[in-house]
Amino acid sequence: MLTGKNTVITGTLQGIGKATLEYFVSNGANVWACAQRKDDAFEAYCKELEAKYGVWVKPVYFDLTDADAIKAAVKTIQSDKQLVDALVNIAGMARDAIFHMVSMDTMKLVFEVNFFSQILFSQYITKLMLRNPNPSSVVFVSSISAIDGNSGQLAYGSSKAALIGAMKTMSKELASKGIRVNAIAPGVIDTDMNKVVPQEVIDEKIKTMDIKRLGKPSEVASTIAFLCSDLSRHITGQTIRIDGGIK
Amino acid sequence: MTNLEKYQQAFCESFNLTNDKLAGLKYQDVPLWDSVGHMNLIAQLEDAFDIMMETDDIIDLSSFEKGMEILKEKYDVKFD
Repeated sequence: MLTGKNTVITGTLQGIGKATLEYFVSNGANVWACAQRKDDAFEAYCKELEAKYGVWVKPVYFDLTDADAIKAAVKTIQSDKQLVDALVNIAGMARDAIFHMVSMDTMKLVFEVNFFSQILFSQYITKLMLRNPNPSSVVFVSSISAIDGNSGQLAYGSSKAALIGAMKTMSKELASKGIRVNAIAPGVIDTDMNKVVPQEVIDEKIKTMDIKRLGKPSEVASTIAFLCSDLSRHITGQTIRIDGGIK
Repeated sequence: MTNLEKYQQAFCESFNLTNDKLAGLKYQDVPLWDSVGHMNLIAQLEDAFDIMMETDDIIDLSSFEKGMEILKEKYDVKFD
């Protein structure tokens, strides 16, 4: 599905990002695997993936709160002199608190990581994609919190809603250049990020789903892969929910 | 090819112009130098000089001469 597609994926150290990295390489993609910090186990894991699937996986490290580090990371990718086919923005953070308890510092930090830095990174990477005569796709990972709202997720939900707005504009501007831009909105997925949520809250959420279980990271990854593949070549400007029919 | 020649070539190829039309050329002076053409020019310049331009500089590059100034001051491109 993704054979030979050179893809930049952020947030690959764990959760949905790690599952997406695995899904992409197992489908033949080469990946710049972006992560927040250097990690020996992660480096070894990337080498394992390379050997197993016959692709290249290049770890790239940067902190999304550091604009200079973002720029340096893009320089690293640019210096590889490879065409860039796709970009998947997964890295993000949550700082949950009820509305009146959310400080402006928290709002700014969450927006910095979940929105501003992702736009900056996307500006740089899509410039590289424009040099590709046949680029494919940008995918943002939003959230159903951005669409439906969710108590306690003011910062997270609104930053993820901002991504959907940006995605819509980018899709209109970049379509003529052959770049499709879409978002996904995961519901409750079985990741470390949700391990901090009390089990009774998770159980209540599951009761409201048509498919009565948590989503798997691999199920999110396969939707991202679909959006980066030629199977979705007439889809742009869309947000796809992956939420098991949550109400 | 000198840096000046590379710089001129980027403009000529992006906007379908000849060298004699470049002096004093400003953003939107010719139909091809619109926002889309601007990004084509940036790609050409980044390739030609192996640089990665920052967004503020992309916005500021409003004329043939201004571009040379930005490349000299911010990206250490020498035109002498």
